[in-house]
Amino acid sequence: MLRTDEILSTIQMLHAEHLDVRTVTLGININDCAAPAVELICRKLTQKIARYARNLVAACEKVAGKYGVPVTNKRLAISPAEFLLAGHGRSAAVAIAEALDSVAGQVGVDLVGGFTAYCDKGISAAAAVLIDSLPEVLSRTERVCASVNLASRRAGINMDAVARMGRTVPAVAQATADRKGFGAAKLVVFANIPRDNPFMAGAVLGRGEPEAVINVGVSGPGVVASALRRKVQLQPDLTLGELAEEIKIMAFRVTRVGELIGREVANELSVPFGIVDLSLAPTPAVGDSVGEIIRILGVECIGAPGSTAAIALLTDAVKKGGAFASSSVGGLSGAFIPVSEDSALADAAARGHLVLEKLEAMTSVCSVGLDMIAIPGDTPPETIAAIIADEMAIGVVNNKTTGVRVIPVPGGKVGQQVEFGGLFGSAPIMEVRNAGASAAFVRFGGRIPAPIHSLSN
Amino acid sequence: MAFPGAPGVDSIGVSVKTQFPNGYVLNVMAADRAGIVAAVSKAVADAGGNIDACSQTVLCGYFTLIMVVSFPEPLAEKEFLETLIRPAGRETGLQVQIRPFQPDLPPAVAEKCGNFVVTCFGPDAPGVIHRFSALLADKGINIVDLYGQLDGEQFVLISQVQIPRRWDLAMLQADLEALGAEQGYTVRLQHENIFIATNQLRLYSHG
Repeated sequence: MLRTDEILSTIQMLHAEHLDVRTVTLGININDCAAPAVELICRKLTQKIARYARNLVAACEKVAGKYGVPVTNKRLAISPAEFLLAGHGRSAAVAIAEALDSVAGQVGVDLVGGFTAYCDKGISAAAAVLIDSLPEVLSRTERVCASVNLASRRAGINMDAVARMGRTVPAVAQATADRKGFGAAKLVVFANIPRDNPFMAGAVLGRGEPEAVINVGVSGPGVVASALRRKVQLQPDLTLGELAEEIKIMAFRVTRVGELIGREVANELSVPFGIVDLSLAPTPAVGDSVGEIIRILGVECIGAPGSTAAIALLTDAVKKGGAFASSSVGGLSGAFIPVSEDSALADAAARGHLVLEKLEAMTSVCSVGLDMIAIPGDTPPETIAAIIADEMAIGVVNNKTTGVRVIPVPGGKVGQQVEFGGLFGSAPIMEVRNAGASAAFVRFGGRIPAPIHSLSN
Repeated sequence: MAFPGAPGVDSIGVSVKTQFPNGYVLNVMAADRAGIVAAVSKAVADAGGNIDACSQTVLCGYFTLIMVVSFPEPLAEKEFLETLIRPAGRETGLQVQIRPFQPDLPPAVAEKCGNFVVTCFGPDAPGVIHRFSALLADKGINIVDLYGQLDGEQFVLISQVQIPRRWDLAMLQADLEALGAEQGYTVRLQHENIFIATNQLRLYSHG
């Protein structure tokens, strides 16, 4: 029999603190949709995705109702589109993206990830086609999300690909200038891209994954923040170690919610359950914020000294609590700090407390990277490439996933507030200091070799 | 050596087997104080009996205990009660009832069920529990555990229930929510696994 206090604490977490499952993402391998004719690829793609995903939304809603836990987003992640594009050109890339967009709409999901290329060691012809198609793809579709892996621990950093993405990101923003460059919010570049990440924009069904699989991303910053606030009010003399324990407990509980929902949705759809991504994913809603947790941990202005240590404590405690809760942990699994999607971070950026360089430092100890950051539209492509290169270096050297999702807002100037809408939130345009000063470094091109610790065999 | 006692099924379908063939259900109520369990268990032991199952709870200072006990020979019930209520002529303040244990009692709900939790939060008023429980009873839903307590201005009612699988969960939730809304209550019906997963080491119930 359940204890009353157990029931009440779960009710508090689910309903007073609004815990949700952030995303249930159905991964589908589409490699067998390859064909010489683009029309045939699109037809097979539509049929296959519709067959697997037609019951996804209904299954999520049924399970959400049974447990009283909302599933906020239902999404798709396909195997990398790069492999489908072998032997085809840009028009095929656009047609495939439009077919993906259309079938995603038909099955009722809001985003589909996996328009992905792997370029960490070199750029294949198909990867080049995919990258070059991105401005058109991301401006002509609503739901398609793209990602490019530019670096890895084993290959190092492909600076030619980094430079190419330094040009592509502003081109995508320019192609969606009427939406303040929003297309760039659906494009992320990675070092060490995970193969089972359920979160957008980087969701993809990577190599070695099943034909179809359910991966789940949890939420939870609001729950952790509330628990910490209660704890600090009751026992103001707690140490950071004791607060880390509290975070662990909440991470355990949040992860369990994700795994329970994910396993049951997978069962409903008769596909295997893959992983639960432990990442604390904030939303623009006040209180559902990773930044707020940093404040509760005593760093008054997010970005002040101590912020990196606080986020390190948080990320580690989340991993430990989540790892005990589930044996199926994957994806990114840490703490996200997407500026526009986190009201406290966006506020700190607007007040000038949080700057790009401090965010970069914080990404060295948490997942996933420089995320949802609006920058001036006239930031030189080489500077964007250099920002990417720095973040890739953090990922490669520390053997972790890092990513960059910056939005060069066309015509946007430092300090202007940009509204992206919905879960993408709003943020001020942040200053990029020393813009233009890295051009020569980027123009060298080539590959930054893999670090010595990659030779681990 | 254990005597081959009489098997039975408790209210939530757990098999109960008494050690001796003459089983009884014993119910004790009293103002709570130290020594009640000691007194009851002494009386059972002195009569040569065994306690086969027991559960106690204390609510607002009142103690209640239910036990399944068994004896090698049929019990002289009147004398046994006397030793509990008035040992050596001294009043203990215990209210005690005893009745034969029926090992072949059918389960409370014969159908296949799922285990759910109903939580209700709202203003206290006469008849609240009756209205919720009547709705459940009307649908053959068995309450296996009940908790109600005033918390500040709000009455908190938690029922752990067995819901026959023939019911459409969403419709049942709608009925409960509508009934709750009439009385200013927030009502939720959730499967027990969400509470198990978030509080215990296992992810699911055993069932």
